[in-house]
Amino acid sequence: MGGSIRVSDSTCYEGDVHRNQMKKRVVITGLGIVSAVGNNVSEFWNSLVEGKDGTKQITVFDPSPYRIKIGAEVSGLHPEDHFTKKEIRRLSRCDQFGVVAFREAWSAAHLNRDPVDKNRGGVILGAGSGGILSVERYFRDFYQGLKKPSPSLLISYSLATTTDHIALEAGLKGPRSTTATVCSSSSASLGVAYEMIQMGLADVMVSGGSDSLCEVSFSGFSSLKLVDSESCKPFDKRRQGLIIGEGAGLMILEELEHAKNRNAPILAEFLGYGICADAYHLTSPEPNGEGVERVIRMALAHAGVSPEQVDTINAHGTATPFNDVAETRGIKRVFGERAKEIPISGIKSMVGHCLGSAGGIEAVATILTLQKGIIPPTIHYEVPDPLCDLNYTPNQSIRKDVRVAISNSFAFGGNNACLVFGKFSPNAECGVRNAE
Amino acid sequence: MGNSVQMRNAECGMRNKTPGSQIRNPKSEIRNPEHRVTVTGLGIISSIGIGKEDFWKHCLQGTSGIKPVRGFDVSTYRSELGGQLPEIDFRTFIKPANLRRMDRIGKMMVSAVRLALDDSALDFKREDPNRMGLSFGTGLGSSDTVDQFFRSLLRDGPVGAAPLLFQTAVPNAIASHCSIEYGIKGLNITFSHKETSTEMAMAYAYHLLKEGRMDIVLAGGGDELSEPLYHVYSMLGALSPGRGKGSEGMRPFDRNRNGVVLGEGSGILVLETLEHAEKRGAKIYAELAGVGMAGSTEGLLRYDLDGDSIAQAMSLAAEEPSKVDTISAAANSTRDLDRAETLAIKKVFRERAKEISVSSLKSMLGEFDGSGGIRACGIALSLHHEMIPPTIGTEQLDPECDLNVVLHQFQKKPIRSALLNGCSNGGSNISILFKRYESSY
Repeated sequence: MGGSIRVSDSTCYEGDVHRNQMKKRVVITGLGIVSAVGNNVSEFWNSLVEGKDGTKQITVFDPSPYRIKIGAEVSGLHPEDHFTKKEIRRLSRCDQFGVVAFREAWSAAHLNRDPVDKNRGGVILGAGSGGILSVERYFRDFYQGLKKPSPSLLISYSLATTTDHIALEAGLKGPRSTTATVCSSSSASLGVAYEMIQMGLADVMVSGGSDSLCEVSFSGFSSLKLVDSESCKPFDKRRQGLIIGEGAGLMILEELEHAKNRNAPILAEFLGYGICADAYHLTSPEPNGEGVERVIRMALAHAGVSPEQVDTINAHGTATPFNDVAETRGIKRVFGERAKEIPISGIKSMVGHCLGSAGGIEAVATILTLQKGIIPPTIHYEVPDPLCDLNYTPNQSIRKDVRVAISNSFAFGGNNACLVFGKFSPNAECGVRNAE
Repeated sequence: MGNSVQMRNAECGMRNKTPGSQIRNPKSEIRNPEHRVTVTGLGIISSIGIGKEDFWKHCLQGTSGIKPVRGFDVSTYRSELGGQLPEIDFRTFIKPANLRRMDRIGKMMVSAVRLALDDSALDFKREDPNRMGLSFGTGLGSSDTVDQFFRSLLRDGPVGAAPLLFQTAVPNAIASHCSIEYGIKGLNITFSHKETSTEMAMAYAYHLLKEGRMDIVLAGGGDELSEPLYHVYSMLGALSPGRGKGSEGMRPFDRNRNGVVLGEGSGILVLETLEHAEKRGAKIYAELAGVGMAGSTEGLLRYDLDGDSIAQAMSLAAEEPSKVDTISAAANSTRDLDRAETLAIKKVFRERAKEISVSSLKSMLGEFDGSGGIRACGIALSLHHEMIPPTIGTEQLDPECDLNVVLHQFQKKPIRSALLNGCSNGGSNISILFKRYESSY
């Protein structure tokens, strides 16, 4: 395994130590969620702790031609409760999720109350399918020639649309961009947003991601035979693939001094991250977990955290046959013997694979894990797979004092990302609360 | 400034005493100053030239890449022009076995990477693949592949969903092709934010290099001109001839401009820490020395109007505005952006505004989201050759765009530093400062 030694040598370089001392501290001061298991943070968290599955019959498009007709669709979110008629026409489903989650995060961070310098606030989101659902509707009518579609459906053609909507709503005049690595987009976006603060371009960043179900990605994953016909069963031997989900997971990143000065609620600290390539295959992960290992090591080195300090892992855990084995192997390569002790959560078993918002939603879950001292379960776990032999927190959430947590995201073509969050204040209550 | 650094150090010291900081690894105190970032390779696939020599020759000649659209029917639209690439034999640049898996935008980008790597004379055998990265930008990525996929789905139902098309349809497939082709294992990220996609990719790469987290990052990107994209732009009323006088065409800052002509292409820069570049004796075109970003909030499809945000981005990028001699403008032949950028340049440079040579390469290439890569290559070549390409097509300057626009003929002049402006509708504005490379300050 000479390869693995070289990997760790080259990803943990001396510069990291210096930077850890010089870099600004970035904290999380607000969270917002729209998901198949809850349209606000508390509902979402209760569902995760209870192990609720958000999989249901798809209604956003007609799934009847497909063999598999299920997805982790968002329900109970009525656009008319949040938007005017005109806005509903112009905002794609993805935009709506993003804006609703943004409003929750923004007000949870007390940014409605506190005046902030709009020039020092920005938005970096991750995108997956973006507004393709609207664009599909347009082109379906256009190509079938049945009726003349409204060009307003095309406003969402760009993946940047949700990012812009949020920046416009908040009036933020700082840095703004959108990452597009699909299944790892919103993890990458959090890393980029973090750098905006490090670069001195912003004090407050809205980041995370939003995505909605659409026929293109549903049929695409189905065509690759990566979709399970009944439920998402990460790390279970019976797993057949993912359940496509949708939603938004957003958060407010803030420079620590800025947050302290306005007495903002500090939920966790964003310690660092890593982004790297597999350089292996367009759809399959590197099978030995070498890419997974490198990205976790890169993130830990950047965060200045040693593997021994990691208390829990929010896995990418898509429940595709290859991903789960590669991820398990990668975790073992980093954590060695300790790998079996670290509780791992695969929340895609509940919220589905939300593509462009998966990393954001999972990062929100990771921060809640730190805050509450409860590790959400991997549900539908029944039959162990000898190739996936770690502690996946099967079916029942557990209580554990968590000081450092990481969240993994991997995407097609080997776009790997890993985020490291830490508990902010040691003086706060230890965080273990009753699951009920 | 000195004070704030001291303060930060003091805070660090305090922090180390609090129990919370035990999470961090308080190892040694290695001094690691910021790295300088250089441009050491250029790869260009454009409508006016393939490779830097061909491209630069036509830039200086003021060749237009804009012609009637080929390949699809535009008869139902008011517009008929586009800045399309010439026919390219991609086998020149890409291994045939890999070529089969790529769609057109993938081929465009991998070819640009090939050219950039050749130009940089990097020896892969000597490089650590974990210290090399990719940071790409593309506005609409594989729009044509997505369209083909969707049409086939509409026609044949679920059996029409083609897995091979789907895997290249995602925007990050382009960078993945490159990472697989060259075994690049470090950073791998793709941005997609309208007309600032590639500028963001370069800005992010710059920051990581400056911090010494990578040695080399291939940064840039591009976009393709596809039929669905042409349709969307046309339906949204963004194409020339839109409102205003004059015939269809690309003429930034002209009083008769009336909207954009779409173009396509890809441009990749090899960005490298100075330390690494010097160690291997690389040819250095220029130094990337600053980035600035600011958002405007005029509306979802609107550019900055008063120029404040563009000015803010430029000020953040250029620490010393007095040393900026030229600007590669974002001006794209729309009234709002041409005027806002003019206002911004005046706000930042005041009485010096007229001394700064302003030029928009978009006049030759057309407008596309990922144009920043090619335009950044243009700046590197400007700094290297001390020549500024002209803005073509522009006949009569809009009185509200009364800048020193380089018209008709290229200009030769010493350039200390140059700004690349990127401005997207919706309001993201990014400026990047390039300066003449000097081995020591």
